[in-house]
Amino acid sequence: MSTPLSSFRFIFLFFLSIAFSIFCSAQDAIVGESLFKTNCSSCHYLGPEEKKLIGPGLDSEIFEEHTEEWLYKWIRNSAELIESGDKVANELYEEYNKAVMTAFPHFSDEDISNILAYIKEGPSEVVVDSSESVGVNSSDESSTLLYIILIIIIFNISLLVYVKNTLKTAAGIQKESLLQSSLAWVQLNPSVIVFGAILIVFSGMKGCWNTLSTVGVAQNYQPEQPIAFSHKIHAGDNGIDCNYCHHTARSSKHAGIPSANVCMNCHTYINEGTITGKDEINKIYAAVGFDPNTRTYIPDYEEQPIEWVRIHNLPDLAYFDHSQHVNVAGVECQTCHGPIEEMEEVYQYSKLTMGWCINCHRETEIDTENPYYHDLHKNWIDKYHGEEVTVDMIGGMECAKCHY
Amino acid sequence: MSNKIAYILVFILILTIGCGDSASDGRKLTKHPGYEYMPDMYRSPSYETYSENPLFPNNSTARQPVKGTIPRGFVPFEYDNTLDEYLQAGENLINPLKNNLSNIEEGEALYVMFCAHCHGKNGDGKGSIQHPLYGAVPSYLDDVLLRRSGTTMKELSDGHMYHAITYGFNAMGGHASQISPEERWQIIMYVNELQKENN
Repeated sequence: MSTPLSSFRFIFLFFLSIAFSIFCSAQDAIVGESLFKTNCSSCHYLGPEEKKLIGPGLDSEIFEEHTEEWLYKWIRNSAELIESGDKVANELYEEYNKAVMTAFPHFSDEDISNILAYIKEGPSEVVVDSSESVGVNSSDESSTLLYIILIIIIFNISLLVYVKNTLKTAAGIQKESLLQSSLAWVQLNPSVIVFGAILIVFSGMKGCWNTLSTVGVAQNYQPEQPIAFSHKIHAGDNGIDCNYCHHTARSSKHAGIPSANVCMNCHTYINEGTITGKDEINKIYAAVGFDPNTRTYIPDYEEQPIEWVRIHNLPDLAYFDHSQHVNVAGVECQTCHGPIEEMEEVYQYSKLTMGWCINCHRETEIDTENPYYHDLHKNWIDKYHGEEVTVDMIGGMECAKCHY
Repeated sequence: MSNKIAYILVFILILTIGCGDSASDGRKLTKHPGYEYMPDMYRSPSYETYSENPLFPNNSTARQPVKGTIPRGFVPFEYDNTLDEYLQAGENLINPLKNNLSNIEEGEALYVMFCAHCHGKNGDGKGSIQHPLYGAVPSYLDDVLLRRSGTTMKELSDGHMYHAITYGFNAMGGHASQISPEERWQIIMYVNELQKENN
């Protein structure tokens, strides 16, 4: 009686234990992942050893190179291990320019085993979201659809005309060309000529006006830049303040093209972009002479400036100062530059014409709270009897403010 | 009668032609900067900050300062970029600015511009940067001892921070070119507030 049931029980228990162990190891890795991300990932990539951050990349290879016991000791307090004269530990210490890894004495054995389980398993597969690239050409598609409809209509009309003409020939009626018939119609209705003339003159005038008003106005200009830098990724998705890179906007006439060392603040370690991969970031490295594999600057490298294409250009006759607008007036960058944080490629959002400047000066109220101008502001408030004081009232429309 | 209708029709036509353009909202982005009439003054004959310059081998008007010179008013930082000097700076440097509200407010504004995307608006280390590398920034309220400074983040001294902002630290780059010495001290003053909060 015992044999079938016990064997069944055995098999059941066997599968249960397997299921449980899988469940456990998965659980380990999940706990390990969060531990790794909070404690390790600022210095270690999860990947092959060559992918160095502050320390080497970590993957299953470390289990071949080191015993688990050694790893536990190293993680808990590497400095102690080095001092104890461990050969491997000292070699690593020398290799990484005597940078000591932060000790984690508060880690329990379980914590460390969870982290090691996560490292062994490697990163979970990243699902690439390709839906974004779809739909870019939707406007092109809709216009081709319109063309197709147009062609069908023209085809139908010509078919009908052909049928009509064939019927007329069959009936023996004299054929009249379209030109002849329409001329005859115009002779009967001479006012059409007047309407037509007015129409042509006005549309011509409007066309001239439109064309002339774009002369010297580079609105919507979106040149191709030497590096496919995306403001959407940096300022939008990652929420980096405009002033971080354009830090001279607060203190200078120019908002400033960030020098490459500002890029390198993050891109010393971030060597791969999410969309363009390594190609575009490598262009920064080529400009400054940085070797991403060893993470060192190449000595005596002849640095090259990155030749960004200028988009916004005010003529030499107009003076514009960023610091006055950003620092004193507190104007948001987006007021003039548009939704920069949504632009993959930057274009000129505003017209930058004099009328555009003046309009804003007429409408914008000044910040009377600024303590630097306290006495002046008090005078104006008295003078205008508490009306809102706009920029033009305090000399924002004087010619010499901008033209000198 | 028919004349009247015709006049109205013409009027409507002119209106639609006149208003058609201004009503359109879509932007037509172009790779062409457009045409310029007598562009003499559009382009400066003198070399501007970022203009190309055939006079110099790397084609850039912006020059580096002459070797061995410093800008006016510039005070060199006495500590080098080494771990020893980092520790020394931590012991010796004192914030020269007055601890007042305006400095702290200024520091907060600067903190949001230059630090918050990694260190988080509240200094909790949860910034808006999505890259995993910057996903483990320590909080200013961190209790973990055994950092290189020998203190916890909560007790990190002003000198440590000043050294770290100037030269960078671990995955953080040096911010000396972006943040002036005075601004660094203002930021540190605000970080001191963050270290204190919620205690």
